[in-house]
Amino acid sequence: MNTSPFAGDGALAVYTGRTMSWAAVASSCFSAVLLVILALSSGSSGGALLVVLPLLLIAIGVLLEVVTASSVRATAGPNGFTIRWGWFGWPRCSYPLEQIERAEVIDLPWWRVSWGLWWSPKRTSCTLRGGPTVRLTLSNGRIVTVTVPEPAAAVASIQAAKARCDR
Amino acid sequence: MRWAIDHTSRERLQDQIAGCVRRGVATGELEVGEQLPPAAELGEALSVDRNTVLAAYRQLRDDGILEFRRGRGARVVSGGPALSAVTEAAQALVTTAREHGLGRNDLIRIIKELT
Repeated sequence: MNTSPFAGDGALAVYTGRTMSWAAVASSCFSAVLLVILALSSGSSGGALLVVLPLLLIAIGVLLEVVTASSVRATAGPNGFTIRWGWFGWPRCSYPLEQIERAEVIDLPWWRVSWGLWWSPKRTSCTLRGGPTVRLTLSNGRIVTVTVPEPAAAVASIQAAKARCDR
Repeated sequence: MRWAIDHTSRERLQDQIAGCVRRGVATGELEVGEQLPPAAELGEALSVDRNTVLAAYRQLRDDGILEFRRGRGARVVSGGPALSAVTEAAQALVTTAREHGLGRNDLIRIIKELT
């Protein structure tokens, strides 16, 4: 039995974790039902396009939410940090170790939780709950925030891998 | 779940991977019902072949620690015989320590000295 999972020359340490939020999926489905009712009631006075287009957008939105909030698998280690969504591990985002400038654990307030995948030109966020969360700062300035079951262990494996590379 | 393997070790990689799962179950890091990463993903992360991970998973399934379900991957089903043996030994240790007037902190100190 190893005394420390991240110690020793020749040793390779990896962290894997899976997070899911049925609450996020259920709330998005509930919102989708409300939006469908709204689309149908507004569409009855307009053309078919006014019904089909909002319904299509809602379907895409709900599908994305279900995939990105129902199962988030994170892997941290010598290959960097990888996030896989959904049951089939797709879509996925990979951040190689060389791209990760800093890895830290932050205390995410509940009002900043994204409840699924959120992308903006400077940030990628996939958070499903508040509290301790992994935050990566990439060399291009992008900030990646991800919920994992044990953020300290994920950050430790990234830092250990970076320290090995620097040696 | 933390995985630590050594590619330079004489111990087979599949045994090391199985050892990580056993340790995770014994320490409570892995709970009953928890799903393990798919073999291909874990293999990629640990820089080992997918079949090596599958061999480790099969070994754990044969020991009654994991079960495979179609479409749901490998799941932890029990702590396995190793954990119950350690729990029984720990219970006997606690009883013996009480008989000799040793408390919780004394036991922790002794275990720290031994490990």
